[in-house]
Amino acid sequence: MNWVIAIIKVVFIWTWCLLWATVMTWAERRGSAMIQDRLGPNRAGPFGLFQPIADGIKLFTKEEFRPKTARKILFNLGPILFAIPAFSAYAVIPFGDKIVIGGKEIILQVADVNIGFLYVVAIGALAVYGIVVGGWGSNNKYSILGGLRSTAQLISYEVPWGLALLAAVFVYGTFDLRQIALEQTGTFLGFLPNWGVFKQPLGFLIFTVAAYAEANRVPFDLPEAESEIVAGYHTEYGGMRLGLYLFGEYVNLYTLSALCVTLYFGAWNLPYIDMSKFLGPISYGIASFIVFWLKVMVFLLSFIWVRWTVPRFRYDQVMRLGWKTLIPLALFNLLITALVIQLTV
Amino acid sequence: MAKPVVKKKYTLTERVYLIEIIKGLGLTFKHFVFNVKASFRPGPHTVPTCWQYPEDRREIAPIFRGAHMLMLDEQGRIKCVGCGMCARACPAQCITVKRGKVAEGEESKYAGKTYPEEFVVDLTRCIFCGFCEEACPKGAIVLGPEYELAQYTREECQLTKEGLLANYYKAKEEGKLKPPKKPVPVAAPAKPAAKKAGAAKAAAAKKAAAKKAEAKGAESKKSDAKGAEAKEAEAKKAEKEQKSEG
Repeated sequence: MNWVIAIIKVVFIWTWCLLWATVMTWAERRGSAMIQDRLGPNRAGPFGLFQPIADGIKLFTKEEFRPKTARKILFNLGPILFAIPAFSAYAVIPFGDKIVIGGKEIILQVADVNIGFLYVVAIGALAVYGIVVGGWGSNNKYSILGGLRSTAQLISYEVPWGLALLAAVFVYGTFDLRQIALEQTGTFLGFLPNWGVFKQPLGFLIFTVAAYAEANRVPFDLPEAESEIVAGYHTEYGGMRLGLYLFGEYVNLYTLSALCVTLYFGAWNLPYIDMSKFLGPISYGIASFIVFWLKVMVFLLSFIWVRWTVPRFRYDQVMRLGWKTLIPLALFNLLITALVIQLTV
Repeated sequence: MAKPVVKKKYTLTERVYLIEIIKGLGLTFKHFVFNVKASFRPGPHTVPTCWQYPEDRREIAPIFRGAHMLMLDEQGRIKCVGCGMCARACPAQCITVKRGKVAEGEESKYAGKTYPEEFVVDLTRCIFCGFCEEACPKGAIVLGPEYELAQYTREECQLTKEGLLANYYKAKEEGKLKPPKKPVPVAAPAKPAAKKAGAAKAAAAKKAAAKKAEAKGAESKKSDAKGAEAKEAEAKKAEKEQKSEG
């Protein structure tokens, strides 16, 4: 019985992620259009909402083109290596509290493992292999440049990202993401909601900046900087292989947003209100899921918002920001957190 | 000399960068809200920067130069006399005109004694400069408001007499015909005026000569020459004005 529930949970959260990644491609295009005084795709369906479907059909029916000089195996492997970590990283992140059906308590999380976000960090780091392998396999100078940039960028930003997460571990005392979410109830200092962002403001800032770099989003989209290296690692890709790259990016965004909400924005907890007290077991499960999803959507949309506001950094600026600013800041944050915890607890 | 690069000194808030990003986010959010609101307004053309072409069309200016029209006069007669001056004026050589004499009994169709037997404008060659319109002594060919000229074959791009007339009827129906031009006053050959101007010229030359004699330095000579030229130009102007008055 347990494995049936597990499969249902896996299928549900997978399709849910894919659904919102699809909607994100639409939101990205229309949102950017609205920011730039354009209209965006508004022909397919109401408000152009069927545009992702049209795009999908187009990508699937396109010729699967492969350059003659490309390494066949690596070229085919690249998008797969990129998509698998993107689709599997969500496994340990909760998407709600718990739901009680027929006297059986079901935790709204695929796998409640005690190493929690170490798994997310590890899987997230694997995604760069997809980019590098694709870039190398394309046998194209722009592709390989994009792949190499991606490697250097990910290594640089993994450090402050990890350090920011470490400070969060100091605060919560656990790696378990569900445990972290459960700890963020009640109030902090008497008047603030007991959310991670109020205990770790600097950590949150570093986490966000590094997350943009991890997801290869503007202002750190150097692996695919189209004004410099055509389209970077996916220059030679077309059809659904390209689709996997683009789609994997949005799934990554969903995962990162969910991680951010879990760590810093109280997961499914509303500020000052305890939903479990006045909602039935089933409705509480659904409400916690919806609250969590809404919070994730805010972060997803902010990814779009920032993308169309901030111009791309130069490559040396990215490296300077990573090594000379974020890492010292993250270490400082770690030190302060450790000191405060040592002195108060 | 190249302009030296002046590096801007950044203030502390600018160097922190985050505050500036937040300002930028505010700006883009303003645009976003404005455009979202605008796109929910009723009507076809809502977002001010976008014309959704087949539904919204920009208003064209009354002097817009689109596809050619063959004009009719008040009695519905073709104004064109088939003189071929438009074909001569055309820099792209896209107009073919063949003149024919108006047969008896067909005077009600044509304004002149001759008419264009054949009138073809090759729109694949036309550059829409409007020289044909300027060259036409009868105001018979005019560039109209029609600008959707895409066709499937080259043959369809040959605008024949029927097409030219159809363009005229369409523009008339939509009320997009150009406002009638004011008649340009034709200069009559005014001989006395020319004589006067000549006298003025001679006087100016005399004066200049006298000054030249007085002048010693080369520089003063130059300036005098200039002065003389200016005077000549003035004289010419006066001549023109007199002509137009005449």
